[in-house]
Amino acid sequence: MSSDASDPAADTSEEAAEAAADAAAADVADDHAARATAAAAEGEHLLSIEDVDAYYGQSHILRDLSLHVEEGEVCALLGRNGAGKTTTLRSVAGARPPDVREGAVRFKGDEITDRTTEDISSLGISLVPEERRVFPNLTVEENLHLSDVARNWSNTFGRDVSMDHPGMSTEEVFEVFPRLEERQSQKAGTLSGGEQQMLAIARALKQDTDLLMLDEPYEGLAPQIIQTVEDAIERIAETGTTILLVEQNAVAAMSIADRAYVIDQGSIVFAGDSEQLRDDEKTRERYLGV
Amino acid sequence: MLLLQSEIASILLNGLQQGAIYALLGIGLTIILGTMEFLNLAHGALYLVGAYTGLIVFQETALSNGLLYSSGITTLGFEGGFLAALIVVPIVGFGIGLLMERFVAEPFYDRPETDQLLVTFGLALIVEETVKNVIGGNTFQSIAPSTILGVNVSQPISLPLVGLFPSWRLFIIAIAFLVIGLTYLAIERTDFGLVVQAGTHDSEMVRILGIPINRSYSLVFALGAALAAFAGLIGASIQTVSPQIGTQQALVPAFLTIVVGGAGSVRGAIAGGLVLGLIISAMTQTYSQWAQIVLYLFVALMLVFKPEGLFGSAEVGE
Repeated sequence: MSSDASDPAADTSEEAAEAAADAAAADVADDHAARATAAAAEGEHLLSIEDVDAYYGQSHILRDLSLHVEEGEVCALLGRNGAGKTTTLRSVAGARPPDVREGAVRFKGDEITDRTTEDISSLGISLVPEERRVFPNLTVEENLHLSDVARNWSNTFGRDVSMDHPGMSTEEVFEVFPRLEERQSQKAGTLSGGEQQMLAIARALKQDTDLLMLDEPYEGLAPQIIQTVEDAIERIAETGTTILLVEQNAVAAMSIADRAYVIDQGSIVFAGDSEQLRDDEKTRERYLGV
Repeated sequence: MLLLQSEIASILLNGLQQGAIYALLGIGLTIILGTMEFLNLAHGALYLVGAYTGLIVFQETALSNGLLYSSGITTLGFEGGFLAALIVVPIVGFGIGLLMERFVAEPFYDRPETDQLLVTFGLALIVEETVKNVIGGNTFQSIAPSTILGVNVSQPISLPLVGLFPSWRLFIIAIAFLVIGLTYLAIERTDFGLVVQAGTHDSEMVRILGIPINRSYSLVFALGAALAAFAGLIGASIQTVSPQIGTQQALVPAFLTIVVGGAGSVRGAIAGGLVLGLIISAMTQTYSQWAQIVLYLFVALMLVFKPEGLFGSAEVGE
């Protein structure tokens, strides 16, 4: 283990305290930032994964894994193929498998480990899964409309819907991804890989999202499309939406992430700022191959 | 073999009629399979129940064997007429669908497909044998009313090109397509339908988007069951009714339909049903002894050259 992963919380909470002081001094204009720093100062993370052990059938995939994400940051979870990145995101999203047997996942302080996928989603966690998984038989417009249906149905069934970051309207989503507007009445199955990725992110943005989890958003995309998606992710981050980004492409991920974790064989082997990881050649070579 | 115009037209009409039955069955099977990832081999049993319910509601059915007959009951039924059957049969199907979802399907959602196959095939056999024991194993004549809403439907009417065609069967074709059309609209034009369409492709992704799709499982299942029962009534209107029809005339064709149409597609189920109906109709009218062989060869060729079906997408089954 090449870096100090033992107490990643120490320096972040120091930073948070500083930030809180700054925020207090500088006329609290931004409600959201103030709340974020206050929460962080109390040691409460937006998302925390605590000592999670997760299994696919008999295979032990996540081993005592812990990490946390602060409100407003872009956090990257990096690692090789099969290291447990997707399993981590699925565990948070409540998707089964994996089967989470030990540990806890907390969101805004509440334990969500055993809640259903749809409940977790309406609490404000959006997962953009691997392979995009847009509905190929539906048009772009219909794919996006499903996020409205989600909100309506959640209200109907009287579940608590997150309000911190109300989802974007279709018009706002089209501003982020103008290409989708051109394609709105086309079946999603006929879109290019890049367009499908845009659609997958777009429908997550339409949800009331406080934490956007992106699973390998650059996978299989041409370099210029990667740039488009990267710009979009940066724009989303600027709106204050917290992002947990999973990538094999460590270089691309580090360029937009504030902080990074490195996962190997189901455990965190590095935690720190992106610059720290950039400087930590040994970790990069050993676990990321870059 | 040279076909007369009238023969071609009658192949088309018979094909539409058989195709409508397959389409109704296929829609139900495909939405249940897609949304719940539940393989329902008891789908044909719902067709069987629909056919017998139709028979019992429509007329006083004279029993000649079975448990009821041996205990002294010789007739069964209400003489409710065909319109009553049109209302009662889907309701019965819907109700059975709700019960089936709750007590048979739900406990098996997370079990392997082989378990689902066994339990639903078992249920199909139980239904078939129960009907055989209680109502009797004999074959009943198809439902054929003489009037509907005061209109005489027993006389054949003369159609251009076709010549004389039973007006009763035209009515059946019309009503079947009306139901198919309404189902299609419900699936294509409503939010519920949108969720079902999305769910038939990838129900986990629907849940990741925050839609509690499992709350609509019972409704989807019941809808599929009501359509299967309705198909049974339509089938009973043109074919004889016996305990074996659930498997022979419903279950197997329903699977063929979604293979041809593409699993997980309502549009595909309608198209697949019509294609199979027309093949069967054409073969029956020309080389009837080859009908089944041609049908299965066609489906086999589909599986080889277009395994995703007419309207399916490559993603299905991943």
